[in-house]
Amino acid sequence: MKKRGRTAFIITFLSPAVLLYGVFVVYPLIQALLLSFYRWKGVSKNRTFVGLDNYKELAQDQTFHKALSNNLWLMVVGGAFIVVLSLLLAHGMQSNHKGVRVLRGLYLFPQVISLVVVAIIWQFIYNPEYGLGTGLTKAIGLSGYGQPLGTSSQALTAVGIAFVWYALGFYVMLFSAGLKQIPEEVTEAASLDGSTGFHRFKTITWPMLWSVKRISAIYIVINVLNIFALVYIMTKGGPDRATETMLTYLYEQAFTNSKYGYGTTIAAANFVIAMILAAILMFVFRKNPEGERA
Amino acid sequence: MKKFLHAAGLTLFALTIVVPLLWVLVNSLKTGSEVFSRPWGIPSSPQFVNYKNAWNEAGIGKYFLNTLLVTVGTLVILLPISAMAAYIFGRYPFRGSKTLFSAFLGGMMFPNFLVVIPLFFLLRDIPLGDGNMLDTRTGLILVYVAYSLSFTIFVLTGFFQALPGELAEAAMMDGCGHAKTFWKIMLPLARPGLIVVGIFNAIGLWNEYPLALVLLSKDENRTLPLGIADLVMSQHYASDWGALFAGLVIVMLPVMVVYWIFRDKIHETMLAGAVKG
Repeated sequence: MKKRGRTAFIITFLSPAVLLYGVFVVYPLIQALLLSFYRWKGVSKNRTFVGLDNYKELAQDQTFHKALSNNLWLMVVGGAFIVVLSLLLAHGMQSNHKGVRVLRGLYLFPQVISLVVVAIIWQFIYNPEYGLGTGLTKAIGLSGYGQPLGTSSQALTAVGIAFVWYALGFYVMLFSAGLKQIPEEVTEAASLDGSTGFHRFKTITWPMLWSVKRISAIYIVINVLNIFALVYIMTKGGPDRATETMLTYLYEQAFTNSKYGYGTTIAAANFVIAMILAAILMFVFRKNPEGERA
Repeated sequence: MKKFLHAAGLTLFALTIVVPLLWVLVNSLKTGSEVFSRPWGIPSSPQFVNYKNAWNEAGIGKYFLNTLLVTVGTLVILLPISAMAAYIFGRYPFRGSKTLFSAFLGGMMFPNFLVVIPLFFLLRDIPLGDGNMLDTRTGLILVYVAYSLSFTIFVLTGFFQALPGELAEAAMMDGCGHAKTFWKIMLPLARPGLIVVGIFNAIGLWNEYPLALVLLSKDENRTLPLGIADLVMSQHYASDWGALFAGLVIVMLPVMVVYWIFRDKIHETMLAGAVKG
């Protein structure tokens, strides 16, 4: 084939994708970095370079601290629940029983329906007047509950439960795939050696899930730092900032208060925090104890 | 005992998923007062009129058509240009192609929401018709295409790499050019991949909320997630609870049906995308 035709072909076929990606993804990304060094109310041309002022302000910003600590709380507590539950469930769903096959078709529903729907459903579940939860607590003889989403001390937990409900299926899927990869001979050999139950799990299964644990940890970090729709719709970060997260705070600063430079700084901080946490995870999971698989 | 715990645990898991979804479905057939008075009860007579009210009065019909338009519009642009790029990445290695491919994959790593502010102003600065691209479905479609490229190219590149090379070579021998070989021979062979990645994207686009929230504001442009979220947050629904639940069903049911039909393929694609990281 003619070399020239090949080059022209490559350029023609790549350019639409490169063009769109460059304009709508790469360019805004660069802008995002630059904007965080400006004070800007969105009126064109009228931006003031303020250096690191936005970052200094952010470091002092009590609301941002609250949002960050809420994100971290959801990450650690929610993440722990997600890992334990998905491991148990993935383990329980290994069999090929008919009921399990049906469950396999169902368990990703919360993941595929819109987060908006998830948020609204949970808002209704928590409704003190007619919510599903109120009905349930009354049915078992309790007096129902107050307003979890309207009570500062309960709101974050309530949102966390909704988050786990939404996210769980994805991790069950990851752990199921991980368990399936463990060769049967290994488990069988362990059983023959008299290793069963929790001991076998501790010595064989848990270490062999290394790569799944690594992937899950990274996804939990990313998913939790990205929480927006769920909180924005359920509580708007309230009451009293009790459920404020970094991205809901970003939205408020940028699109309610028109502090676009500051909003971008929150975005940049969110990104840097994600990178730091990812680096820590990479360090923790630097070496596969099993050696052979990457 | 162990067996019982096993079964009980899995049943409980299934119930936590199914009960809230069924509750929405049942509530969508209740009258407004039944929603309040009997949260766990079933409707005395199913109120199918709720769906009519949701569609017409609450504006769900309009939002539904917008979402359909935006989803289809995005796919129509996204799939051919991704397939073209993926074909190059998969079968025409050139100097720097690995770097460019990584640059595309990088888009899967950072969340879209981090760039919403610059994106908002970018659309405001691009002229379209009498105004600009902000608050237009066209603008939203282009943004959706751009942010779906990474994953789509990633999946399709794998598909093109796996296709047998002999067919393309034979076609080239017969005098087909590069482009004709792609359109006539290779693209049809990649159809299963296009379908899977198309469905996968369609679900994500149908549900998308944060970008639409920032980039659209006029009611007439709103997509389903925006419309239903606004109904709830602005408390417009207070007059008709049944219709609101009907609206929720209209948002989630198409996705659940599509997911159910293609669940094995969607599963595979989700895993492939997740494990790459």
